[in-house]
Amino acid sequence: MEVSRIRALRGPNLWSRQTSIEAIVSCEPQEREMMPGNEFEKQLRRIFPAVGPLEGSRPGQPASMAHALEKITLSLQNQAGCPITFSRTTATEEEGVYQVVVQYTEEAVGRLALAWAEKLCLAVKSQTAFDLNQALTELRDLDEDVRLGPSTGSIVDAAVLKGIPYRRLTEGSMVQFGWGSKQRRIQAAETDTTSAIAESIAQDKDLTKSLLLAAGVPVPIGRPAKNLEDAWQIALSIGLPIVVKPQDGNQGKGVTVNIVERELFNQAYETAARYGEVLVEKFLPGSDYRLLVVGNKLVAAARREPPLVVGDGIHTVKELVDKVNADPRRGDGHSTSLTKIKFDVIAIARLKLQDMEPSSVPEKGRRVILRNNANLSTGGTATDVTDDVHAEVAARVVVAAQMVGVDVCGVDVVCESVLKPLEEQNGGIVEVNAAPGLRMHISPSFGKGRNVGKAIIDYMYPNGDNGRIPVIAVTGTNGKTTTVRLTAHLLKANQLRVGMTNTDGVYVNGRQIDDGDCSGPRSARNVLMHPDVDAAVFETARGGLLREGLAFDRCQVAIVTNIGSGDHLGLNYITTVEDLSVLKRVVVLNVASDGMAVLNATDPQVAMMARMCPGDVTFFALDAHHPVLATHRAQGKRVVYTENSNIVAQQGKKYFRIPLSDVPLTRQGQIGFQTENVMAAVAAAWAVNVPWETIALGLSTFISDIQGVPGRFNVFDYKGATLIADYGHNPDAIQALVQAVDNMPAQKRVVVISGAGDRRDQDIRDQTQILGTAFDEVILYQDACQRGRSDGEVIQLLRDGLHGAVRTQYVQDIQGEFNAIDTALARLSAGDLCLILIDQIEAALAYIQGKVNESQLTSAK
Amino acid sequence: MSSKDIKFIRMTHLKGPNIWTYRPVLEAWIDIGDLEDFPSNTLPGFNERLQAMLPGLIEHRCSVGQRGGFLQRLTEGTWPGHIMEHVALELQNRAGMQTGFGKAREAGPRGIYKVVIRTRNETVSRAALQAARDLVMAAIEDHPYPVNQVIADLTQMVDRLCIGPSTACIVDAATDRNIPSIRLNDGNLVQLGYGANQRRIWTAETDQTSAIAEGVSKDKDLTKSLLANCGVPVPEGRNVASPEEAWEAAQEIGLPVCVKPVDGNHARGVSLELRTQAEVEAAYHLAEAEGSDVLVERHILGDEHRLLVVGGKVVAANKGEVASIVGDGIHTVEQLIEIQINSDPRRGEEEDFPLDTIRLKDHTTAVLELKRQGLSGQSIPEKDRHVVVMRTGNMAIDVTDLVHPDVAELAALAARIVGLDIAGVDLVAQDISKPMKAQGAAIVEVNAGPGLLMHLKPATGEARPVGQAIAAHLFAENSEPRIPVVGLIGQENTTGTSHLIAWLLHLQGLQTGLSSAKGLFLGQRCLHAQSGMEWESAQRLLINRSVEAAVFETTARHLLSEGLPYDRCQVGVITSMPKAAGLEDLYIHSDEQMPNVVRTQMDVVLSQGMAVLNAEDDEVANLAQYCDGEVTYFASSADHPRIVQHRSENGRVVFWRKNHLVLAQGAHEIEALNRQLPAIDKVFKNKHLKCMEVLAASAAAWALGIQTDLIRAGIKSFGQSPGAH
Repeated sequence: MEVSRIRALRGPNLWSRQTSIEAIVSCEPQEREMMPGNEFEKQLRRIFPAVGPLEGSRPGQPASMAHALEKITLSLQNQAGCPITFSRTTATEEEGVYQVVVQYTEEAVGRLALAWAEKLCLAVKSQTAFDLNQALTELRDLDEDVRLGPSTGSIVDAAVLKGIPYRRLTEGSMVQFGWGSKQRRIQAAETDTTSAIAESIAQDKDLTKSLLLAAGVPVPIGRPAKNLEDAWQIALSIGLPIVVKPQDGNQGKGVTVNIVERELFNQAYETAARYGEVLVEKFLPGSDYRLLVVGNKLVAAARREPPLVVGDGIHTVKELVDKVNADPRRGDGHSTSLTKIKFDVIAIARLKLQDMEPSSVPEKGRRVILRNNANLSTGGTATDVTDDVHAEVAARVVVAAQMVGVDVCGVDVVCESVLKPLEEQNGGIVEVNAAPGLRMHISPSFGKGRNVGKAIIDYMYPNGDNGRIPVIAVTGTNGKTTTVRLTAHLLKANQLRVGMTNTDGVYVNGRQIDDGDCSGPRSARNVLMHPDVDAAVFETARGGLLREGLAFDRCQVAIVTNIGSGDHLGLNYITTVEDLSVLKRVVVLNVASDGMAVLNATDPQVAMMARMCPGDVTFFALDAHHPVLATHRAQGKRVVYTENSNIVAQQGKKYFRIPLSDVPLTRQGQIGFQTENVMAAVAAAWAVNVPWETIALGLSTFISDIQGVPGRFNVFDYKGATLIADYGHNPDAIQALVQAVDNMPAQKRVVVISGAGDRRDQDIRDQTQILGTAFDEVILYQDACQRGRSDGEVIQLLRDGLHGAVRTQYVQDIQGEFNAIDTALARLSAGDLCLILIDQIEAALAYIQGKVNESQLTSAK
Repeated sequence: MSSKDIKFIRMTHLKGPNIWTYRPVLEAWIDIGDLEDFPSNTLPGFNERLQAMLPGLIEHRCSVGQRGGFLQRLTEGTWPGHIMEHVALELQNRAGMQTGFGKAREAGPRGIYKVVIRTRNETVSRAALQAARDLVMAAIEDHPYPVNQVIADLTQMVDRLCIGPSTACIVDAATDRNIPSIRLNDGNLVQLGYGANQRRIWTAETDQTSAIAEGVSKDKDLTKSLLANCGVPVPEGRNVASPEEAWEAAQEIGLPVCVKPVDGNHARGVSLELRTQAEVEAAYHLAEAEGSDVLVERHILGDEHRLLVVGGKVVAANKGEVASIVGDGIHTVEQLIEIQINSDPRRGEEEDFPLDTIRLKDHTTAVLELKRQGLSGQSIPEKDRHVVVMRTGNMAIDVTDLVHPDVAELAALAARIVGLDIAGVDLVAQDISKPMKAQGAAIVEVNAGPGLLMHLKPATGEARPVGQAIAAHLFAENSEPRIPVVGLIGQENTTGTSHLIAWLLHLQGLQTGLSSAKGLFLGQRCLHAQSGMEWESAQRLLINRSVEAAVFETTARHLLSEGLPYDRCQVGVITSMPKAAGLEDLYIHSDEQMPNVVRTQMDVVLSQGMAVLNAEDDEVANLAQYCDGEVTYFASSADHPRIVQHRSENGRVVFWRKNHLVLAQGAHEIEALNRQLPAIDKVFKNKHLKCMEVLAASAAAWALGIQTDLIRAGIKSFGQSPGAH
């Protein structure tokens, strides 16, 4: 068995909606059919009993080693704690070659699981040892390392539930929610509206206290000390007991509480001084509470206790700690609701203060404190008290957050009970923490867990907003780019800042931000990241879909222009038109439930996709009476068609008509394929509620020139002859062009064509076969990229297609695109028509434009 | 002769508007003893000695009103209090704390003066006054006095204690727009506006500067990838972990490259335009020494620029200077740097200088730059050889007007992508007046909290009003930075009136703060029950972000010893003229002095504000002349001549007519209250309120736009809620 070409499908893809690892696996003949109960499976189960049942692609079929690899990869991830379910193995056309797809939650973990699965297969096969524990430990550690921490994770989970898309910006805890202009960011429990100034204020306890005091919030009085002696004077003036802590500290480092005498005070000062300036404060009696404020609301509260053990009169302190730590809920990291009590020098020092040693046996019921602070990370516990908080306490806490200016914060309160106002019990607010940990509220050690992630998401996205902008995905064989550009133009006419990707580049709000073929998911993701995008239109080509999946989890509108007889068949295991259709329908499968698929009713492959769409469907067709469209219309659903030189959009009894004469792109409806593109774009704009007047205005102002849609039916006048430049490169495109050109009056018809080497022989021959019926003269040239074919091979195929052509009288071979153009132009007279099927779009168009300008200059003279 | 001395009796910091001026001052009481008999013109050589020590005194116009005015007064003969005032102001200005206002007045007893100087920092002014006293004594007694040392010490003190120049330019711009400011800490954290309408700044960060965005801006890698995603041109590059990997990356990216620390903030550890393995490796070590990961990037040809983006727009742009020297075949590089570069008067060590002095021992990048040209500090470049000493560093040349719209658009986009409302965008371009892409320009960094000084004091070109831009970003043209503030003073009735006004504002739905003789109140809550009129305590109301309206009762004593806790108010109420009795310790001996003390309450009324004055007290009514806004008079009878007169001039008046409280303006009258109603009468019978209090409070409430039925309801319900008083 050999594993080659591993891909991470990072969005909805050919196989499923899940993010998945896809591998091409080739198996030796003896590995292809492994009957149930075979030696391999027996050995595998001995090593890895948890692996699921091995089955072939269909029930009853024998499994291959590739199937085993799939199941092992899945089970390894499951055993490591990743919640995944989807996996699949499919045999390809090639004998013994399989595509293995396994879902992942973390790409790195998925890849590692596949690597371990391969090792396990080989170990089983070669009867060598395999350390399953090591594999699982590595996977578990990696997962813990790369997946989001519990605080961030809880917020992301809440976002996902609300349908808000998210994307991690760093390997850490920075996450972006929403798309384009609706994007928001968080970093752990900090939002993008958390002010940097407020955070700095929260860091400065003294400043915080003075601001809280100004707001009438009870705080422990005190101030920073210049030196030890000054500190002691402050202590005396405040009155004992006091607290000594560093001015800028976190996680309770260097804090000593309840100091009543000088000796301990000196020690405490020294400890705190290690972390910076020392603060001396009044000691507030009672427990530590942490109250979580989100926006202007109190959303959770917990009472926190330092790590402690309770004596039983039998066991030593050390034994008691071990007993507590044996609790399976106590883990080592941040992910569990409890953490093991650290029994270190600090704990021993704390014991000493209670006149105890690790070997002491505390009497029954005695509480032995092992640390001063109550942080969960050092073994403390948290008890949810959200429902106990007195309204007055909540009010003070909210004011404290507001005064410091942090929108999401943890307010530390010390008081005897949160059931009573702070003022009645000498309680106070000791600290306001930006970016608070949420773990103690999500999974407190005792009491009810609170969905604080949801509170944060609801605060960031109020009123049911889900952070999405309209996303329109366009796919199909021909007409994608024009449809994308026109749809974007209609949205722009509706005052939206539009992000657009297509085969020419990435455009945001009119500015080109990237060039080249940008019809893949990377470019689409970039658009969704751009802060100035209110709506996005994506050309979604097959390449990116196969390579990485979609750039979005779902779209508002999916347009499929046509499949026809396909293009690029034979690549990447997409051999038939049906395969291609299965691939392209992925965009339809991932339409939002309140979204719309815009489908070509006349293309059977496309029309069939309708039943796969989770949302509604709009059919379009030139022919108002096409059965698919007519049926849909009869059901009161949306359709777009042409009738009496109008484009008609209809739903039930509601009509909207746009005369084709007001749509320059269609040349009075002469160019059928452009009319189809217009109908698709109209349906899409309709689906995202662009008003009809705006759609009509947009259509009237859209011109398919070099600036508008370069390489898509660009028409020029050359010495009285009509030149049409187009990028069409497959039989369907050529057929559409021929139909369009047929409607245009001309004396002699000339066509310039090359063949792209990456098409099937038949597809190349078909192109000239079509042209031979419509053109008098054919100029053939060899394009820049022969994609592995030998010199002259493509030209020969093109010539083959012309064999027995009914109309073509003259055929000539030329080397080079520009030479071919020159040759054709030289053969034109006024009144003739020449279709130039260009290859290097930008260069060829510039060349043609140059020729045209030159001819105009000459004629002007 | 021994009593020819100047002694301080007391120094008082008046923190708010006071009898001298609107702004904080330091008021010193001095006893000049027998010097009372020796005005300046009678002390031989004194004036000359004084002028020699402080030549700048010639600029002081003094009461004469022209340059040399103060010197003229010296020649004519003036007394030490007045001289100390000018000396102290001169010292403050020389130390960098710009202040113009000063006054010196006889306090009453012979030889006792009150000397007042405007202060921006109490500690500095105390030191300046002390130094002024010592300097004047030295001039009198003809002792040497270390005036330069004293100024240097004061300068350091100003640098340490006053807000920095970047923050100051924003605060000054706010002040120009009549936006009040309160400094919240010893550093540069300043509140602009009051209460609920406040905004905060901390140098060039605002309360809307996102902490996450700040974090993003510090992570150059993340910033770069976010910018690149959105099509903003950036230099390609990658992080490296060793000098070897740095060189590997350099070759992969293409030379020349630059090497810098990933998390650096300034130009520290940054090396540019490196072409050889040795250079790259040396630069790696330099960057690594800054303690973070090291980044190797394509070196973008051109000059460094800093564009300041505020609220989505580029408001200033500077270009970095390239410090260079020309060899003369005689001097070493180090010497040439001193002669040709550091001699520039714009160069200095402190933050205030637009350009840094260049010292090779401090600027390792300069050493590297020289090394690349085959030179060291000790080399002697041949005659006319041009040597670049340093490229990074000073963004000294203003180019704001040259920035191409494409460049500005991309810089603003970069700030938006990072998420910063105020950002310093660093970009490298050969020509800032051309689009970025065509010239291969790139944005190299986006900085949170950018320094503003380079735009305020460019070494070349125009200074840019960046403070105004930031103030405008914080407070749009039609936004209100203030909250309604009511100030009250008087011999009696002020406490009840202030509580009633606060109660009415509360009923209006505003979170209202009240500082009165009874304590400090927030809405219905008493924060502390002793007097709330102390300056520190009262000012808390304005710092409080939840306070939507504030009422301040004050007394002549507080006014004299602390100043008012607010700069201006919407409504200033004077119920009656306070008495001088009991203020003797403040050198107030007669009631005649009181109007001059109390007028401050009128001085601070905003031009769109309202004075509420007792028409029956002539001295009070006469203070109307000092009010910038309108005046409402109140009296217990409609027939009081002043009421009649004011009403005839279409002014607002409030009075009792029989049992009715009437608010009137011209012919228009509203009967707000009827005492015959038992519920109303009860309020007066129970002594919850007095007639005068109701008059004053109703007038103030009217000025605040509170409806009559709410006034009625408020008076009816006053005192029935435990927190109300």
